Amino acid sequence: MVWTVPTALVFAGLVVLLAAMAVWGRISPPVARRGFLRIETDRGDRLYIGLISAAVVLAGWIAVTDLSMWLALGCALLVALVIGRWG
Amino acid sequence: MSEQSTGAVQADEPRPALKRKDNRAWWLVLPVVVSVAFTAVIPLMTVVNFSVQDVFSPVDRVFVGLEWFRSISRDPEVRAALVRTLLFSAQVLLLEIPLGVALAVVMPRRGLGVSVALVLVALPLLIPWNVVGTIWQIFARGDIGLGGWTINNVLGVNFNYTLDSTDAWITVLLMDVWHWTPLVALLAYAGLRSIPEPYFQAAQIDAASAWATFRHIQLPRLRGVLTIAVLLRFMDSFMIYTEPFVVTGGGPGNATSFLSILLSKIAVGQFDVGPAAAFSLLYFLLVQILCYVFFTVLTRSGR
Amino acid sequence: MTRTTGRRLPWARTVFWLYVATLMLPLLWMFGMSIRPNEDILGSFSLVPQRVTFDNYVTFFTDSSWYSSYLNSIVYTSLNAVMSLIVALPAAYAFSRFRFAGDKHLFFWLLTNRMAPPAVFLLPFFQIYQSVGLFDTHLGVAIAHMLFNVPLAVWILEGFMSGIPREIDETAAIDGYSLPRFFVRIFLPMIRSAIGVTAFFCFMFSWVELLIARTITSVNAKPIAATMTRTVSAAGVDWGLLAAAGVLTIVPGAIVIWFVRNYIAKGFALGRV
Repeated sequence: MVWTVPTALVFAGLVVLLAAMAVWGRISPPVARRGFLRIETDRGDRLYIGLISAAVVLAGWIAVTDLSMWLALGCALLVALVIGRWG
Repeated sequence: MSEQSTGAVQADEPRPALKRKDNRAWWLVLPVVVSVAFTAVIPLMTVVNFSVQDVFSPVDRVFVGLEWFRSISRDPEVRAALVRTLLFSAQVLLLEIPLGVALAVVMPRRGLGVSVALVLVALPLLIPWNVVGTIWQIFARGDIGLGGWTINNVLGVNFNYTLDSTDAWITVLLMDVWHWTPLVALLAYAGLRSIPEPYFQAAQIDAASAWATFRHIQLPRLRGVLTIAVLLRFMDSFMIYTEPFVVTGGGPGNATSFLSILLSKIAVGQFDVGPAAAFSLLYFLLVQILCYVFFTVLTRSGR
Repeated sequence: MTRTTGRRLPWARTVFWLYVATLMLPLLWMFGMSIRPNEDILGSFSLVPQRVTFDNYVTFFTDSSWYSSYLNSIVYTSLNAVMSLIVALPAAYAFSRFRFAGDKHLFFWLLTNRMAPPAVFLLPFFQIYQSVGLFDTHLGVAIAHMLFNVPLAVWILEGFMSGIPREIDETAAIDGYSLPRFFVRIFLPMIRSAIGVTAFFCFMFSWVELLIARTITSVNAKPIAATMTRTVSAAGVDWGLLAAAGVLTIVPGAIVIWFVRNYIAKGFALGRV
């Protein structure tokens, strides 16, 4: 495997995120509820949907515009955050 | 997840008592996690790393950022293949799900017929995918194949899947229907067998027609197995590779060049590691989304 | 009157067997080609073979590159089914009996690997299996195929196990059975049919897979499916031999399904699949 710094950071981030979720789940068990997505989700579901949506934003962005990918990253994180909070 | 999907199959049985909460269960799951990590996670990491580099050799490589993602996502050939694959999956589901259910309804339920029927119907599923391709490559040929010959000489329609795009598409679609409808049929058959007898007796007392019995008693109870059938058929048709590769090789022209055929052409044929990796990841993302949507809609609707 | 079937349509039987006949046509055609000499196949179209020959089969069983790749496929497929089952059984039990942190998500994650297009894994598989010395070994292919068979096995088994009342576990625990002993002595025999069905599915998906198996093998563990692509030579396609090989690749599957046929009908109903 030929690692690069950005990919290593991404995977490290994912691992940290999963670990954090596990710890959080221990402190206060997740509760399923219904948000604007109209389906019952707990925070793990929303994290998954959020990450996937963020990836879609990035992929869509790169497919249609030449604007900076940092901007796309900002939008993607915003989307993930919104889904995580109110989804 | 487990409660929901079980609920889909056994919707009417009383809900079992809550499962015991015990995190030591992770020890039981560990072997699966380890084996899937080795076969899936490590390769996925490798793909991610490839996707941001131009790899000339293991020591000679350049970080190119998201360049491959940009070029692949804008490649007209990739986009055309995506449309083609989606169209194919849609057609596969529309044809195979109703046909499979119909087949399950008329399948024998008693006697020796059951065993023979099960074995014969399941037979296409057991054939290696490239042999399925070979069978149809032979069968659909206008000069030496029964299928192609019949269309050409009995129906009098000019049919040649190696030259005509529409014919090639039809051949591949027919092949998939031939190959995979049995899976849907077997699943639906199992679902039908699990319906308790009192339901039918009630229907008989009410003198319900065969169609009403099917529509109001059998079909609702099939939701669980049909969820699985739709998911499996969607996933596999969206990833279809071997059969069309053997029959048409993606041709004529690009007529049957689906996403996976194009991908493996780039990955193995041209050995363009970077673009192939970026392609793989976008492909994977798409499959994830579509399956999550399917799964959610089918398991949570009606709740 | 015991009817487990509901109302039957009068023409159901006819329609069904007509369909089965259609289903068998391409197979019979391939069988027909496998017992004809190549000149006849290409020479003239005829419904019934004019001259019958078993030369194609003789070639298959005397040419070591053909029959050894056939054995290769059987070896790695069986190996894969056994390994997938061993790994999946405890996991499926855990999913069906306990709630634990992240169980739902783990289950979906497993399924997503079943969904991953095999083409995605070609490049890394080639590299990884070469670097760990599993390239071109039966074990290597068996492990690679666990990618899609383990998630499937967990899924099927979990469905079956959920159908077995949890009271049985509790009673056994009161009777002094430890978990491993209960699992092997009481639980496994109860889900025999589930194991049969799961083994069948693992066998099937491993047997039919070509792309990955072809990528991580070259000679020693080469699958029969890969050998079949070899018949294209300077003299054109050897259709007869190809058809004979095709017929033979159907045989193991047909045998396996005959053994589990009763479980499939009974088992499907309980299991998820």
